[in-house]
Amino acid sequence: MNSTARRGVVVVAAASVAALSATALAACGSSSGKAAAGGPKSVAVKLTDKGCEPDTTSIDAGPVQFKVTNSGTAAVSEAELLRGDRILGEKENIVEGLSGTFTLSLQAGTYQLYCPGGKGAEKVDFVVKGTASPTAPATGAAALEQASADYATYVKSQTAELVTTTKTFTDAVRAGDIVAAKAAYAPARVYYERIEPVAESFGDLDPDIDARIGDVDNPADWTGFHRIEKALWSDNSLAGMTPIADGLDANVNKLNGLVQTLTYKPEEIANGASELLDEVGKSKITGEEEDYSHIDLVDFVANVDGAEQAFAVLEPALQQIKPDLATTIRDRFTALYAGLKPYQTGSKATDYKNYSEVTDDQRKALAALVDALAEPLSTVAGTVVR
Amino acid sequence: MTEISRRGFLAAMGVAGGSLALVGCSSGSSSSAKAAAETARSTVSPYGPHQAGIATKSQDRLVFAAFDVTSNKRADLVSLLKTWSATIPRLTGGLQVVDDVESNPQLPPQDTGEAVGLPPANLTVTVGFGPSLFDNRFGLSARRPAALADIPPIAHDNLNPAISNGDLCVQACADDPQVAFHAVRNLRRLAQGTAVLRWTQLGFGKTSSTSTTQATPRNLMGFKDGTNNIKAEDAGVFDDQVWVGAETDQSWMRGGTYVVTRRIQMFLESWDRDFLEDQENVIGRAKDTGAPLGRTDEFETVPLDAKHPSGDPLIPLDAHIRLASPLSNDGHKLLRRGYSFTDGVHPQTGELDAGLFFIAFQKDPRVQFVPIQRRLAQNDALNEYIQHTSSALFACPPGFEAGGMLGEALFA
Repeated sequence: MNSTARRGVVVVAAASVAALSATALAACGSSSGKAAAGGPKSVAVKLTDKGCEPDTTSIDAGPVQFKVTNSGTAAVSEAELLRGDRILGEKENIVEGLSGTFTLSLQAGTYQLYCPGGKGAEKVDFVVKGTASPTAPATGAAALEQASADYATYVKSQTAELVTTTKTFTDAVRAGDIVAAKAAYAPARVYYERIEPVAESFGDLDPDIDARIGDVDNPADWTGFHRIEKALWSDNSLAGMTPIADGLDANVNKLNGLVQTLTYKPEEIANGASELLDEVGKSKITGEEEDYSHIDLVDFVANVDGAEQAFAVLEPALQQIKPDLATTIRDRFTALYAGLKPYQTGSKATDYKNYSEVTDDQRKALAALVDALAEPLSTVAGTVVR
Repeated sequence: MTEISRRGFLAAMGVAGGSLALVGCSSGSSSSAKAAAETARSTVSPYGPHQAGIATKSQDRLVFAAFDVTSNKRADLVSLLKTWSATIPRLTGGLQVVDDVESNPQLPPQDTGEAVGLPPANLTVTVGFGPSLFDNRFGLSARRPAALADIPPIAHDNLNPAISNGDLCVQACADDPQVAFHAVRNLRRLAQGTAVLRWTQLGFGKTSSTSTTQATPRNLMGFKDGTNNIKAEDAGVFDDQVWVGAETDQSWMRGGTYVVTRRIQMFLESWDRDFLEDQENVIGRAKDTGAPLGRTDEFETVPLDAKHPSGDPLIPLDAHIRLASPLSNDGHKLLRRGYSFTDGVHPQTGELDAGLFFIAFQKDPRVQFVPIQRRLAQNDALNEYIQHTSSALFACPPGFEAGGMLGEALFA
């Protein structure tokens, strides 16, 4: 039974309740109206000891809402929709008794539902049929095509630099040269922080590259940039860091390989920009990200740069679709960069003050500028979705 | 389209869930009939010559927020006040910030959602302008009322600037704490880019009655508070003591009022160890009945001139109600609308960090709050058990009508 029919039944039932107030009637009625106009289709995904149990494994293309419910498994608390190795959408921390949703605009093709921790089949194939009816206005369509191409180019340029700058860093680590390694650390971080949401879409890559000590259960499993950061700034010893350096090289090379064929929908680019600002608000403002080197401002600016690039590729289209929004966001990027300027110590991307020199009041002022930008930026994905 | 009430919206959400939703909507709807009645009963109009939340019967819960305006453009400030003025009636009417909250799965919902399914709970939202708004940023320096003079230093104050003052304030009062919080949270969200939160204070229980139909509540000292408060039924007293009239030097404030807030920390552990007779002498009232000392009924006139056979006054000279009495203050009164608060455990002392978030509305703080508080700070026996830790003053402009804007006359 399709969802529109179900809604129809409900409206009849509601109308038969004599005591219904006019407001309540309108509420039920208007909801069915909204559905008829084409709301997202929904898939109920049950989390069980086996893994994922979707109520359907096939659906028409277009916006799809996944409703994830855990009705009693302690083993599984997360559902992801994958294409290949890439996480397109996910809902985490759905423990027993909880439920949650995520929504994606899906085109025809075969996807996989994956609920880590289950004992059953690892991944469940999920088929999307037909073509989505275009929901975005035709306005800006060509500009959005261009945006996707431009963003792919940008990401590739950043991962290429990431590979090179990471190699400089890891060579110094392998050579046991603490001074050279410290100098090479921030330049590599910049290229990762600018495109972090892309790396995050590949499951384990981000934790392997960028985990902080608190992100792993067992410190012995800790790898990536921050493991070496601790060795450099806290332990003052690179003993045992060669395997970590080798692993870091391998992972950034893997990331660079994966992004070569990646394509991006406009809403993914926009959501990536929002995620970068959330990163700033969550771990950079507090100084948690670079706990040993205190180069948080370098990461901060790199996140903002990455968000700005993502916005910039969408900006021509957004100027056509919703010019007021485009202008507001551009103004607030300008204000944020102006707010960061006093902390700049040179012209390079890494020339920023040590975060320990930034006072609480100054951090609060920077957070306000980030919030002011993040709020309108969070509406871009819904505006450019197609 | 009829606007979807939060209650109605809940029913509508149930619809999406399939067969279960059938139950959800129909039972939701029959309870909607009750809900509609409740909504009607628990709604306070945001419109009128004065802002709501002042003469309104005091609600049970408070969320108070002060903002700093970060934009220096007058147009941004006006746009914010327009947005707030359009949104406040939706919130007090039990609606969400916009009608179609979930119109697009790729957009963040425009309402934060935690009030869905809750009644309006008599929510009122009252907005004020702090003295700092009248500096030169917005071209308002010539419009600052004389009565909006900074509160001068007062003895025994121990004010924390981080939780004092502000360019704007929002007082959200409701009978449900989540409804009040939802209002402040969403108004704050709408302010992003123009204003940021400076401080907030939650109040969990009203400490004043503002209507003769309400019983007098008790504050955390266990005493009835606000027995002789100005009551909504005293229209003449409101004009005399609360609403700004023709006497103002700034005509945009006519029909408005000034609010003073003070976070008054109570040293509850010390208070709880004080013996009953002393507690009663400190306040000037009996703890159980709330009656003035030597009297039996709460509402009897405070016998300021009565004496014990020994010749000592019945109400001690340093009793709180004597010093706060209008008879000791040239007839001046305050409309008190405070709330009990707790912010957990005091980090240094390990004692309860709790007390009274004092809120008082008045026509002119220069002749009302300031001299009254100065007199209290000099002599009040209560000072041994309390300390003022924050202070703020705001000019609350007059009320507005549908389609209008708070502070319209100020920006005209």
